[in-house]
Amino acid sequence: MIHIIIFLPLLGAALDIFDQLFTPVGRTVILLALAAGLLAAVLRPEFKLKNELLRSAIISLVGAMLTFVLSTQLNLGAVIASAIVGLVGARVFKDNDQVVMYLGAFVGMSSALRFPTLLPLIVAGLLGGLFFELLDDSWVGVGGRLGTLAAAAVVVVLVVMGGV
Amino acid sequence: MQTLILGIVIAMICGAAGFWLRVNTKLTVVEVSALLALVAGLILPRIFSEGNLFAAICTAVSYATMCSKDRINSYIEMISVSAICAMILYFGQDVLTGVGGRLGTSAAVSVLLFLTLKSLFTLKSTKMVAKS
Repeated sequence: MIHIIIFLPLLGAALDIFDQLFTPVGRTVILLALAAGLLAAVLRPEFKLKNELLRSAIISLVGAMLTFVLSTQLNLGAVIASAIVGLVGARVFKDNDQVVMYLGAFVGMSSALRFPTLLPLIVAGLLGGLFFELLDDSWVGVGGRLGTLAAAAVVVVLVVMGGV
Repeated sequence: MQTLILGIVIAMICGAAGFWLRVNTKLTVVEVSALLALVAGLILPRIFSEGNLFAAICTAVSYATMCSKDRINSYIEMISVSAICAMILYFGQDVLTGVGGRLGTSAAVSVLLFLTLKSLFTLKSTKMVAKS
């Protein structure tokens, strides 16, 4: 059941195609799916509030903020900004941490129209790192998994905000 | 139509380049992906009028190159995933616009679609061999 979280972007895309994502119906569907996934994660016997949860959330947040600033304030564009953050992250961090930083960079690729203020982006950045830790056994080895987790975090925040 | 075909060709070249980098260098998956995205983001918008779309396609393909060797293990497979990815992005340009992670989601869908088709094909071949 926990794996439902990684399907949130696909659910969001399907709702978006029918212009239902930011309607009460769309919001209910996304939030119910999120609640079911989070509940399943917390009820797992192996679930523990580990330091890694906080660590990944913070690294993801840093990646998201850096990318967003480079992309929107320095006008580098989302693609170049995330690539720079990914390359720098790969030099600074090792193993999982550089991957989480790259995940955060994907969150930061969101347009400024979607995130007119920084608070929702901060929440999405933290949520991205959290999803990474919770869904460590979902879609293992599938390219694009990080982006999907990032999109799940962004879709959740946008739906809570009511869509922009 | 011309844009789609060009997008597929560029995606296939990008996918092959990514696979080569994965196999022949000691770069991490993150470095390979970020390097491909950076080069595409810097060059393609300056060459083509649809350069931003092509850069986005290459970026998504660069995410697909992050697949493990258990999932994608040959140039043919990577090139096929890249072509699927280009088509998904071309036809899904208006879906989840401005949402971070959209390109990665497209990449993941391409990989999963390819793996599903591959397993179906393998299953069918196995059944045919068993019958004969």
